[in-house]
Amino acid sequence: MNNAYSITAAELAARGFDDLPEELNSAKHMIYSSPATLDYNSPGAKGFGVKRAGLAIPGSVMLLVAPGCCGRNTALLNELGYSERFFYLMLDDTDIVTGRYLKKIPQACAELLEECETKPSAVVICITCVDALLGTDMERVCRACADKTGVPTIPAYMYALTREKRLPPMALVRKSVYSLLRPQKRVSTACNLLGYFSALEDGCEIYDLLRSAGIKMIGEIGRCQTFEEYSALSKANFNLVLNAEARHAAQDMQERLGIPFIELTRLFRLDKIRNQYRLLGQALGVTFDDSEYYQTALESVERIQDKYGNVKIAVGECLNADSFELALALTEYGCTVPEIYGTVGERNFVFIKKLAEVSPNTRIYSNLSPSMLGYRRDCELDAALGNDAMYYHRDLPGIGFQDEAQPFGYRGVTLLFERLSAALEGTG
Amino acid sequence: MSNLLKHLSPLAPDDSGACGVFYELGGITVICDAGGCAGNVCGFDEPRWHEKKSALFSAGLRDMDAILGRDKLLIDKLAKITEQIPAAFTAIIGTPVPAVIATDYSALQRMAERKTGLPCITIESDGTRGYDFGEMLAYSRLFRTFAKEQYPTKKGKLGVIGATPLNTGLTRAGSITNSLTDKGWNEVVCLGMDSDLSEIVRASECEKILVISPSGIKAAEYMQEKFDVSFETGYPVLPEDIIQRTKFLSGKHVLIVHQQFAANALRNIITNCDATCATWFMLDPRYALKDDFTIRDETTFREAVQSYDVVIADKMFRRAARGFSGEWIDFPHYAVSGAAEF
Repeated sequence: MNNAYSITAAELAARGFDDLPEELNSAKHMIYSSPATLDYNSPGAKGFGVKRAGLAIPGSVMLLVAPGCCGRNTALLNELGYSERFFYLMLDDTDIVTGRYLKKIPQACAELLEECETKPSAVVICITCVDALLGTDMERVCRACADKTGVPTIPAYMYALTREKRLPPMALVRKSVYSLLRPQKRVSTACNLLGYFSALEDGCEIYDLLRSAGIKMIGEIGRCQTFEEYSALSKANFNLVLNAEARHAAQDMQERLGIPFIELTRLFRLDKIRNQYRLLGQALGVTFDDSEYYQTALESVERIQDKYGNVKIAVGECLNADSFELALALTEYGCTVPEIYGTVGERNFVFIKKLAEVSPNTRIYSNLSPSMLGYRRDCELDAALGNDAMYYHRDLPGIGFQDEAQPFGYRGVTLLFERLSAALEGTG
Repeated sequence: MSNLLKHLSPLAPDDSGACGVFYELGGITVICDAGGCAGNVCGFDEPRWHEKKSALFSAGLRDMDAILGRDKLLIDKLAKITEQIPAAFTAIIGTPVPAVIATDYSALQRMAERKTGLPCITIESDGTRGYDFGEMLAYSRLFRTFAKEQYPTKKGKLGVIGATPLNTGLTRAGSITNSLTDKGWNEVVCLGMDSDLSEIVRASECEKILVISPSGIKAAEYMQEKFDVSFETGYPVLPEDIIQRTKFLSGKHVLIVHQQFAANALRNIITNCDATCATWFMLDPRYALKDDFTIRDETTFREAVQSYDVVIADKMFRRAARGFSGEWIDFPHYAVSGAAEF
């Protein structure tokens, strides 16, 4: 028996965002760290949590200033080659109630630099809930560290307590990693892609489209190998923000460096992608010819439609997409989405409203709800999308779709359907 | 700077230790945190998370909950879960957040018991101490709360305290129980691993208790004092490959680093060497030899290992043993590297 709480898209849309059921509001219930999601979005574990993200600056090292429990799972990052870049100033119980450790941080920075074979480009000081509650002025501490060591020092706020605030930790860390950029003469044929800590998938059409508009240098922090390459990002004439969590960073770059930004969204509905590129072209004063990419993506969708017809797919949230927008896209492409495991927010509620119109019976679950402990499949499914959905339906074909190389635009749709096709054929 | 880790990652903390003790006992365990600590416990320190279900949750605290001390909200959330999930007890595990705001755990316990009607155990861990400290508090309170009645002694029944993944690297009790039944015990129960709360309640029927980690000593002392159940210490599951490798050591100066009772057990079988035990965790002087020592930081560890020919320790420590040119034998400790062979 399926004892997990769920609600249909139609019921949820009718209630509206201001009347979310408690089970879908993580502030109203205990949080279940579902095994379905842990490996993929536990803070600081796999993927990009604050700790790994803070090290996106080439050549930087991180000092985690926290009780031992906050850095415990950082050992997982050792497997990804970060072992030489993490240092820990362990706080004891007196530290966390008095804040006396703040005076020790500059000395800790000096000592860790002695351990480094080459001088780091920056020291990133990562602080946690303790400092959120103590109200630590970490900017000031960072200045003291930089004065003592001569190495630029910046904060990274791993404040889980503020996860649902206007500026959650993953938005703040995006600001931090661009904060070492300094004003310089801008180049009219340069732009940056902001939003992800790893680069877009190499085959993404956005590179070709921008080049066709005369852009010669496309910067991404995930492609910067050296601090010099990173520093060159401030030459950009404009930034393209591909993930709303980078908006605050883009605003900061606009204020400090004079780089304006244009915001795009990762979408999986072809007509919306086309419209988005049309608007981007207008903003840049060009008309993009995206027909080739559109056609390739459309063909990948049609191949599944022709071969499998109405595929019933469960959509999770541990994947490189917005669960609800993706579910909407799949529904519009002729698939059925009986279940979504996702986090409902103000930003994606618009997709839920549209989903309610085209697939009112889609059931929406929250991975964080304690009731997911009693989840059992009670509907017909052919495939699972996302690592969490694959966890719940291990017997079904599925794709995680959570690679480091980020899918975007038509290429994202093409990759998704090619991989889904391979999974359904049993070759993926 | 003694509290600066330059080569090691932090070791398993007290909140992880406490959660591990309650994991299989059919209670509802709430980590009093914002989500990150629970992620560390479930995603790293608790290997059973992917194979055995447990009602272990994060309180999901937000900054204003902490700043305003919204204990009632926490208890309301807890009560709501007890309506959804049948449980024998509740447990609230501390983290740095309640430590900073000086949460009154006694009050939380009273509020929870009144609201849910279930016994509530609170553990004032704060994420700064070792896992064994959290285990010690959890075992001690668990037995004091539930092992209250004297049951008739079952001859040949052995209870094991300390069988947690963090101590042993094991997620199943089989290798421990098999090893001990081979030694002549009729019935062996690992309290808290592959056994439920009823075994804690009936712990007084054990003829003897075997404590396999210093974290279990306080609970065992309670059982001895209250029910006259005697205990001894030991570690019945030393990895066979390590035992084999130590056979080839002769006349060497050996340092064994693990939790104290595992290290002691290995020393007991190394008869042809001069072996010293050391630990980053609790060292009970009653079970230590004269030269055994506690390791406080990377510097003392690095200096200490230089005087030994052989170090038997988790391989993660090797990174902190710069300059050591002797033989290193890997002795995995889940609370250190999170690595084990299941």
